[in-house]
Amino acid sequence: MSNIYKINNEKFKGISISYNLTLPIVKEKIAENSVLASVLSKGSKNYPNQNEIDRFLSWHYGSNFETSVEKIGDLYNIEFKFLILNKKYLPNNEDVLDNCLRFMNDIIYNPLVNTSKFDSFIVKREKEYIRDKINEKKDDKLRYAVQKTEELLCDKEPFGVFVYGREEDLENITEESLYRRYIEVLDESMVTVIISGNLTGYDDIDNKIEEVFGSKLNSRISCNDLIINNVNDSYNENIQYFEEKVESTQSVLTMGLKVKDINEDEVFPLIVYNAILGDTPSSKLFQNFREKESLAYTVRSRYYRYKNMFVIYAGIDKINYNRAIEVIKGELNSIKNGNINEEEFIASKQSIVADLLEWYDSKVALQKMLLSNLLNYKNTDMNLEDIISKIEKVTISDIIEVSKKVEINLIYFLGGEKSV
Amino acid sequence: MYKIEVIKNSKLDELLYTTTLRNGLKIYICKKAGYKKKIGMFGTKYGSVVNDFVDKVSGKRVTVPSGVAHFLEHKLFEQEGANALDLFTKIGVSSNAYTSFDQTVYFFETVDKFNEALELLIKLVKTPYFTDENVKKEQGIIGQEINMYEDNSDYVAYFNTLIAMYNKNPVRIDIAGTIDSISKITKETLYTCYNTFYKSSNMFLVVVGDVDIENTIKIIEDNIKIYEKDYGINSNSSNIEIFEAYEEEHINKKIIEKQMDIYMPQICIGYKLNIVEKNEIIKRDLVSSLVSDIYFSKSSKFFTEEYEKGIISDVVSFNCESTKTFSHAIISGYSTKIDLLKEDLLKYIEQIRNSLVDKDLFELAKRKKIGNTIFRSDNLDNSYRRIIDSILNENDVYEDIDIIDRIEVSDISDFLKLLDSDKQVVSIIRQK
Repeated sequence: MSNIYKINNEKFKGISISYNLTLPIVKEKIAENSVLASVLSKGSKNYPNQNEIDRFLSWHYGSNFETSVEKIGDLYNIEFKFLILNKKYLPNNEDVLDNCLRFMNDIIYNPLVNTSKFDSFIVKREKEYIRDKINEKKDDKLRYAVQKTEELLCDKEPFGVFVYGREEDLENITEESLYRRYIEVLDESMVTVIISGNLTGYDDIDNKIEEVFGSKLNSRISCNDLIINNVNDSYNENIQYFEEKVESTQSVLTMGLKVKDINEDEVFPLIVYNAILGDTPSSKLFQNFREKESLAYTVRSRYYRYKNMFVIYAGIDKINYNRAIEVIKGELNSIKNGNINEEEFIASKQSIVADLLEWYDSKVALQKMLLSNLLNYKNTDMNLEDIISKIEKVTISDIIEVSKKVEINLIYFLGGEKSV
Repeated sequence: MYKIEVIKNSKLDELLYTTTLRNGLKIYICKKAGYKKKIGMFGTKYGSVVNDFVDKVSGKRVTVPSGVAHFLEHKLFEQEGANALDLFTKIGVSSNAYTSFDQTVYFFETVDKFNEALELLIKLVKTPYFTDENVKKEQGIIGQEINMYEDNSDYVAYFNTLIAMYNKNPVRIDIAGTIDSISKITKETLYTCYNTFYKSSNMFLVVVGDVDIENTIKIIEDNIKIYEKDYGINSNSSNIEIFEAYEEEHINKKIIEKQMDIYMPQICIGYKLNIVEKNEIIKRDLVSSLVSDIYFSKSSKFFTEEYEKGIISDVVSFNCESTKTFSHAIISGYSTKIDLLKEDLLKYIEQIRNSLVDKDLFELAKRKKIGNTIFRSDNLDNSYRRIIDSILNENDVYEDIDIIDRIEVSDISDFLKLLDSDKQVVSIIRQK
């Protein structure tokens, strides 16, 4: 079967099995998708409540089962993930794979549905849960400010919406509508199964997966049908300013930046640009904004490769607002003016490569890379070595060139009221 | 040469090599075959709770402002104006440092620059460089760090629990200190603490990864020698004298509430416990994690009922934290109906203290724990945590794995008896 991928490494003791439903989405449906994922994970026909699920997992030596949702660019992904131990490491070499696969199939494809309706109590509870998740995002000021900046930058695209959706879209979700959505999601999703870990003694794992999931693996949708970036070409000529008040000791300043007219090859120079700008302790922002100017403890830049944009964020004192903007603008311009020295350039590349090499030690990082390549390049030909070699080929002039395409779109301030 | 001791743990497929250098520095190398990443950690048995001790240089008893250990961490990871994180990044290595109640640890993670990184780590920790100017600059950065935590409701809820439990033990004070206390720190304070607590005999060096054992030990010794002029001279490693504030058995305050600009209210219920030592610390930790599974996980009656009542959506957590100077259990949970959660939790704890342990749930929790111990060894971080715990608690490194097999139902009920309402405190964060 072509949509089952295996990544074997004997140094691990565990096996991670990731079952992904990836689909295009409109903003209004994100909340419903997150409620759906949440409801599915709370019970199935054979495991009707969380108590039964938890007992099943504990009995299988604490095998871990998680359902999670994420946005990959403008796509939505619902992931069901099992972490089990290779039988070699379990008492009496007990093999838990078959039971766990059947359990997973039950959770995804045999939900608690009667007469085309989900269980009404669970739907009500999980709607409340998602509402809480949406409302509590503000409790972490830094994360909230970054999320808000993403939203402002991508006001027309699904990516701009918080991963759990918008509160106003929760109201109309019912047991019936959620079931209709479930059928739609199954129909509109690409199925990808990625197995990563110690597969010694599990040569036939793909056959077992086919046996358990059968034709459900043959999704109508393939990666060619999935568009990772619904490009939004609206660039602001002037910087827009936003401010929100909050009661806190520290304020958060963010900047949203967009990259104009880039081609696929420029992604790698942009990754290095991000490291030089603010993603490592050698970066210009860390060195100048934090170390020289003492303006912040946290200052960082983040590059969104699928959305061609950046967010810079810093926790600052309110009185330093103007100075902070001045320093960040200064660093952005300094790169545009070619001010990158050999030392910081090499350091940044080395630090990216070192981070990439560490993926070899993580079952989950390898799974994530595979799925993201599949969605982005429509095949899984590119491996970690290829990515590393593309990073290594980046030159200083490549970075200066791409830096000229990076423009500040908006400045957002989450202002603390308490004076320190 | 050094006498290298080898410990093999067959359940985890791990080999641990240990030795002690002539200056008293303990070295632990955990071999993880096949892994690309290598971690090096240089730490001292000195953390935020130590602020009253005998200065090794003058021989006099001194007290220092809160937050010195953490301040020292920031300043030591810096060299003549360059931040250590940056120096490591320049050679392609990521690094960091942390301070907790009883330890300060500096570490790096690398794939292919292990030797250089190890040399740099030793150099940084062994060459303090404090000036009036760089101390002042750091007060600004740490001030921002303190403010950041002050806005974090989890952190506030947790520290308010400690404040409620403890009267004098410095564990009740923020690890980073306060804006006021750090303003009193000078370069002299830093040198006093450094000279007392960063003696090699009070320190440990832990390496995890697929490294060459002999060569690693040689690099460590060669580099330590560069910075220790008296290396090899049988240094009089007299013990460090620390004065601990006498902590009464009773709690400080029954309840602390705070309003913050947050959506999700939270509660922490703390129990001040008797202090235990060595492998009893490990055992208590394991027993409390079983208690957490039996009584608070999704398999529990408590979760099912509270979920159905619409009070909680996720499990409440139950953790035990113990060092040589304190021990407590903290239960924490989130709910928009925080008073109902509080009421139900308090009632439930009283009830489980007086009931028999469900044997099936006990066996289930144990099975899960056995699996999880193996699962976690796929992650290098888990190896060094176990080693550092054993250094601070003074027990054998893999003792947890044997202890788990020996835990019985009676251990669970004995532990539950410790959750006495006289020793109980409540910390709540409410919506403003």
